[in-house]
Amino acid sequence: MSHAEISTAPLPAVLEEVKPAVLPRPVLVGNNRSFSWITEKICGIIEGPTPTWWWVCFGVAVFVASFTVAGLTYLVGTGVGVWGHRNPVNWAWDIVNFVFWIGIGHAGTLISAILCLLRQKWRTSINRAAEAMTIFAVVCAGIFPLFHVGRVWMAWYLFPLPNSNGIWQNFRSPLEWDVFAVSTYGTVSVLFWYVGMIPDLGVLRDRFTAAGQRVRAFLYGLFAMGWRGSNRHWSNYEMAYLILAGIATPLVLSVHTIVSFDFAVSLIPGWHTTIFPPYFVAGAIYSGFGMVLTLMLPLRAVLKLEDLVTQYHIDNMCKITLATGSMVGYAYMMEFFIAWYGANPNESFTFINRAFGPYAWAYWTMVTCNVIVPQFFWFKGVRRNTALVWALSILVNVGMWMERFVIIGTSLARDFLPSSWGYYSPTVVEIFTFFGTFGVFSTLFLLFIRFLPMMPMAEIKAVTPQADAHAHH
Amino acid sequence: MKRQFDHPAPSERELNGPRYWRSLDELAATPGFRAYLEREFPEEASRLDGVDRRQFFKLMAASFALGGIGLAGCRRPEAYVLPYGKSMEEVKDGLPLYFATAMPLRRAAIPLVAETYQGRPTKLEGNPSYQPHGGASSLIAQASLLDLYDPDRATTHLKDGAALTAAALNDLLAAVGKKYAEGRGAGLAFLAESSSSPTRAALVARLRESLPAAVWAEYEPVIDEPPVEAARIAFGRDVKPVYRLAAARRVVSLDSDFLQTGPAALADARNFARGRRVASPAGADRMNRLYVAESGLTITGAMADHRLRIASSHVPALAAALAGRVLGTDAYAPLAAGLDVKPEWIAECAADLLAHRGGSLVLAGAHQPVAVHALAYLMNAALGNIGRTVDFVAAEPAGAATIQQLAAVIKAGSVKTLFILGGNPAYNAPADLDWMALQKSVPEVIRYGYYVDETSALAGVHIAATHYLESWGDARTADGTIVPVQPMILPLFDGMNELSLLTHVLGDAVTDPYTLVYHTITGLTGGDPEKTFRRFLYDGLLEGTAYPPVGGLSPRADAAAAILAAAPRKPVVGAQSLEVRFAADYKTDDGRFANNGWLQECPDPITRLTWDNAILISPRLAGELNILPPLSGVLPVARDEAADWINGREQAHVGVVKLGGRTVRGPLQIQPGLSNYTIILPLGYGRTRSGRVGTGAGFNASAVRTGGTMHVATGATIEIIPDERYTLANTQEHWSLEGRDLIREANVDEFKANPAFAAALGLEAHSPPYDPESAQRPLEEKATEIPRGNSLYTTPKFDGLHQWGMSIDLNTCIGCQACVIACQAENNIPIVGKDQVVRGREMHWIRIDRYYSDGRIATGAFGGADNRSIPEDPQVSLEPMACQQCELAPCEMVCPVNATVHDNEGLNVMAYNRCVGTRYCANNCPYKVRRFNYFDWNKHATDALYLGPLGHQQEMPELLKMVRNPEVTVRMRGVMEKCTYCVQRIENAKIQQKVKAAQAGNPGDVLVRDGAVRTACQQACPVEAIVFGNLLDPESAVRKAKAQPRDYAVLGYLNVRPRTTYLGKLRNPNPRMPDYAELPLSRRESNLKNHSAAETGRPESADRKPEGNHA
Repeated sequence: MSHAEISTAPLPAVLEEVKPAVLPRPVLVGNNRSFSWITEKICGIIEGPTPTWWWVCFGVAVFVASFTVAGLTYLVGTGVGVWGHRNPVNWAWDIVNFVFWIGIGHAGTLISAILCLLRQKWRTSINRAAEAMTIFAVVCAGIFPLFHVGRVWMAWYLFPLPNSNGIWQNFRSPLEWDVFAVSTYGTVSVLFWYVGMIPDLGVLRDRFTAAGQRVRAFLYGLFAMGWRGSNRHWSNYEMAYLILAGIATPLVLSVHTIVSFDFAVSLIPGWHTTIFPPYFVAGAIYSGFGMVLTLMLPLRAVLKLEDLVTQYHIDNMCKITLATGSMVGYAYMMEFFIAWYGANPNESFTFINRAFGPYAWAYWTMVTCNVIVPQFFWFKGVRRNTALVWALSILVNVGMWMERFVIIGTSLARDFLPSSWGYYSPTVVEIFTFFGTFGVFSTLFLLFIRFLPMMPMAEIKAVTPQADAHAHH
Repeated sequence: MKRQFDHPAPSERELNGPRYWRSLDELAATPGFRAYLEREFPEEASRLDGVDRRQFFKLMAASFALGGIGLAGCRRPEAYVLPYGKSMEEVKDGLPLYFATAMPLRRAAIPLVAETYQGRPTKLEGNPSYQPHGGASSLIAQASLLDLYDPDRATTHLKDGAALTAAALNDLLAAVGKKYAEGRGAGLAFLAESSSSPTRAALVARLRESLPAAVWAEYEPVIDEPPVEAARIAFGRDVKPVYRLAAARRVVSLDSDFLQTGPAALADARNFARGRRVASPAGADRMNRLYVAESGLTITGAMADHRLRIASSHVPALAAALAGRVLGTDAYAPLAAGLDVKPEWIAECAADLLAHRGGSLVLAGAHQPVAVHALAYLMNAALGNIGRTVDFVAAEPAGAATIQQLAAVIKAGSVKTLFILGGNPAYNAPADLDWMALQKSVPEVIRYGYYVDETSALAGVHIAATHYLESWGDARTADGTIVPVQPMILPLFDGMNELSLLTHVLGDAVTDPYTLVYHTITGLTGGDPEKTFRRFLYDGLLEGTAYPPVGGLSPRADAAAAILAAAPRKPVVGAQSLEVRFAADYKTDDGRFANNGWLQECPDPITRLTWDNAILISPRLAGELNILPPLSGVLPVARDEAADWINGREQAHVGVVKLGGRTVRGPLQIQPGLSNYTIILPLGYGRTRSGRVGTGAGFNASAVRTGGTMHVATGATIEIIPDERYTLANTQEHWSLEGRDLIREANVDEFKANPAFAAALGLEAHSPPYDPESAQRPLEEKATEIPRGNSLYTTPKFDGLHQWGMSIDLNTCIGCQACVIACQAENNIPIVGKDQVVRGREMHWIRIDRYYSDGRIATGAFGGADNRSIPEDPQVSLEPMACQQCELAPCEMVCPVNATVHDNEGLNVMAYNRCVGTRYCANNCPYKVRRFNYFDWNKHATDALYLGPLGHQQEMPELLKMVRNPEVTVRMRGVMEKCTYCVQRIENAKIQQKVKAAQAGNPGDVLVRDGAVRTACQQACPVEAIVFGNLLDPESAVRKAKAQPRDYAVLGYLNVRPRTTYLGKLRNPNPRMPDYAELPLSRRESNLKNHSAAETGRPESADRKPEGNHA
């Protein structure tokens, strides 16, 4: 983190004393909180009376989610025509939303798995919520590719189920790869999330048992799978967790890589580019951290979690956002360069058209949100202003949604044959359907914070100063 | 259930002799019999309802006895009514039968062959026996099939709104005839459409004979034949021209859209294409050159090598100037005075004509005044073209009164009963007649019409007309050949034929149109009438009935004086005195096809509009009216910034045209290529009482159209209604090629120097080839064996016996849209309605891309000022685009469920049942030819699409479903579809070949012969631009087409290997003309965009100034 100062004075011939620089350890749990405080704090969220704000939020979220349900019902009952799709823009908000939500899901696994393998201890207070976010985002993401097809009742054709016609799936199609990539990602994310939660579920079981709430104790006990916290349990648990982290790590890269193949493997100018996999992964992490910030900052304020989600955490997340946002910005530049260097007039037109054509508004919104906004995180003052960070994190999400729209919409709207060019605008139905997915997401997330431990108690305890009493030696 | 062809035509004995029934029930069921019973046994008949069985049997026995004895001789023979109870010879279930018929339209008919399934016509094709058309058909002929099944057609006769039985109607007509017989017709008037039917002509002659005091008037809102007076002035004879365009090497069109409008358009287009087609550089010198002077941009103008924009009312002056040069006389100078056209244009054009004596042709538009036609005739005579590129044939005297004369008689109050046979004068009569009031002033109006329309609404009696596919008739083609109008099906409703109507009025005994036609035809020829008639029906024409050329024509000595006397004064045309050109719409014609959904949804060939007409104005006028969109600060990276497109929808300004105190209001479209101060008002829209399809589409230009200026008027003004916009359903948003090499063009000179110019253009010419020896390989090897990019993926096995491919000659395609509708009819393509077209969801499998270029595209990558103008004087490039059947199809690769796959004969096939509708294929199609069923188009009416399951009450009428081709799946919502190369026709041809081979005792001979499969688009194409066949057959036409040096693949650099390739377009400009462009303007744009300025051709071409209308 910080570095030893290098003295400019002439060095003596022999070092007098080897004195390693004392690296100031960042404080991961503020105010020197005790183990019991942590347990009480986290379990208290679940055990306490349901706050009014939760009910209000839940009501609003369910109402908003009903928009998605209504939109999809109408869609399936009537036809994809209720959306604004047209020739040549046969994909629009549906796939934009899919990629958007899948991208958001990336932060969870990244925080859980990659940071776990890299022994980044600061991950502990945010990883549970981030993983939950991942899963709920994948749920929202899955809605779109499933329902955007013309005959959703035939969507099972995408799964390699035996059928009497003996027709197999087309394994050359990136959409088919998506089916496997997303379902694998969803499965592993759920497993990882669940396995990580087992010790905490055991704690909740015990506490509810002690409080005499038998139903809840039974349910938590069921999912705690007989966790008793024995040494052997811990040993197996940690090994399992590590293995899952190992499995999940490549998935972080693979899912969005494969999602990017939906475009990169096609031949449409603006889609057909090899930069997409890394660019999409960077963008996904960028948007994922944006979403984590968007969710965690209000929760931290409402649930008074400042001691667990410290300024250090926020700083780190801002820095990752800055780094990945800059990567995305670099990719934007590189696309332009390759379009020019490739000397293919169709390609170069596509990129110039993005920036100066009829969708220029979307392009410049995207550039503003994804390239300029994260640059504010260079400044400590910005990172420390929680309200500002939250506002910027929302812009990050807006920007990443715009990025997918720019890639999908503008490339399709004007491709090879000018005779077929067209302009896409969404209908109320798809706007509401997308809007509703925020409700779906919020509903699930609210249920999560109400009924499940939103932070891994055991892991947080392990990173408190007390857990390592001899650290100062 | 019409099966006339399978049975011998009725013999003399059958016609007049005793009548046999196939069953008693048949007789008992006839309305005539029941009426007879009612009269004879009023009490007993009322008990027929089945209460008293004994009485019933007694009665029936007596009736049958009486019927058998007494009625047989009186009944009209229903020779064509044959029940389908038993199967007949030639009918095989599931296989179509073909019958010859013809579509009558005004004074000419289009000979057709109808495909019928179990007596239900499902597709019309041109009759190949009629040589001038060679099996081609037009947009309107193709679409006329849909009218037969129009659920909005008149289904019953009406009297004062109440239904009228056929018998009552017959009585009514006979009563009218009887009533006026005494006064020899005084007080009786007829207003009919013009017709070429010899039978009708004979009936009309008889009518005038027996009722001489009756008025017989004919009215056509659109004149498509030159006036006979012109020939009278030029030659002193009543003749009219028939063109032989195949022999014409220099063609000058004076405001004539001969490729699409007019009675002989199909023949003219086909012959023009023959003179245009170039097989090799050696033959390029034989290619014709087309000069067009016109005010609007027509299909013909789009094909021009030199196009002069000039006000229609200035064309007489141009004709005079040209005639002065060609004839070498100053006699016409007074007429040519003040003409605002570069003199070199006229001089060089005339020089070119003079250099091709006997091989040139001057045509004039039918709407042009007599003087222009006379001048054209004189020029043709002087150039020695008569007998070579044009023949004159006798023109029948008009004979009928005009609508104006009829109006005068009505005004005088002397018409008591008015028959309106067809037409729709209440909608399209000249506005100065105030026809509605006139019609109301007649005590009894009997209207015969296919629809209950504006005219019927003001008539006491409406007689439901039959469609030409369900009634007997005859007609003549443009060259005079007599063709049968043979019914394919019994009248679907209780309709009446126009011929029977006239016979009823005449009080004839024989009212059956079949007999009338039979007598007409057999009367015309000697020999066995039975044989003649059967031959006539079989061939679909009567050999040798074409008008013979009139010889010995020589110009009158006083022609010049007569022309000068007849010529109108050249009006001043400008922003304050606009010229208005009323033009028949390419689709709805004069409004008669307004309720045809196929036609309404077919894009106009030039404006690309569907479901509406628009007031077309030039970019210059738009600028002066201040309605060009303001130039925004954003860089115009593509050439569409200055158009009325807002969010992908054409939001047209609305304007009011004032002409002679009358006004009409409509949306404005800024149309390149118009004469600066001419506005075009397409006719045929704005119907107020049409069906579900036609009502409310567009505006009615007839509102400002008066008798004296039916086609061209001057002195109009236009006013923009501020802040009002109207959404137009335009299928092509973007008109510029953007410098892309999608259409590869060259001038003939370049082609001769570099025959393979098309291959040298495009991105593939600049990238390393996938297969360096490609040029050396024979086509069959290329189609089946060559390496496909060292891909890991297994590629389709091209081991079929046939390898299908298509070649489209861009040099001859005129963009007439016949292929679009032929494909729609063949492949059960639904219409989607205006709202959905606006949303970009039209379903046509083939479209014709229309591009404009003016050579002024901005060179910078980021665009520039030159991208901000709509061209005033563009070159037009057309490109039919359907599924290219790529060998390495990008759509197949991305389909997750294997719903679109390749077969071993090179077809990219769709399995609709397997499709789940991810639409990925459509996204990945570089040609954007896949079409998605966003709704259940085939189940719901277009206004009930958004109701989903709630809209089931508004399902498609059963009648409309009858038009479906049983060979082709009707697609449901949620699946993708696209051109299949008419796979049903391919499979049929393969089956037929197998059957033939087995019958010939050589079952292994299963190779389909070249020409045995013709796709629907190919079959309809009047200019034979589309060639389809087996690439493995070295003798196939498609193989020969693809072997031409002009062959290229659109977007070939993508290595998708399309099976449809194109032959590059050639232009044949005259280097001596002032508007000569060394490179076609699309090439110049391409070079500007992609190459150095040095390659952009002679600089003069850059400032190619619009000719004429400098004001």
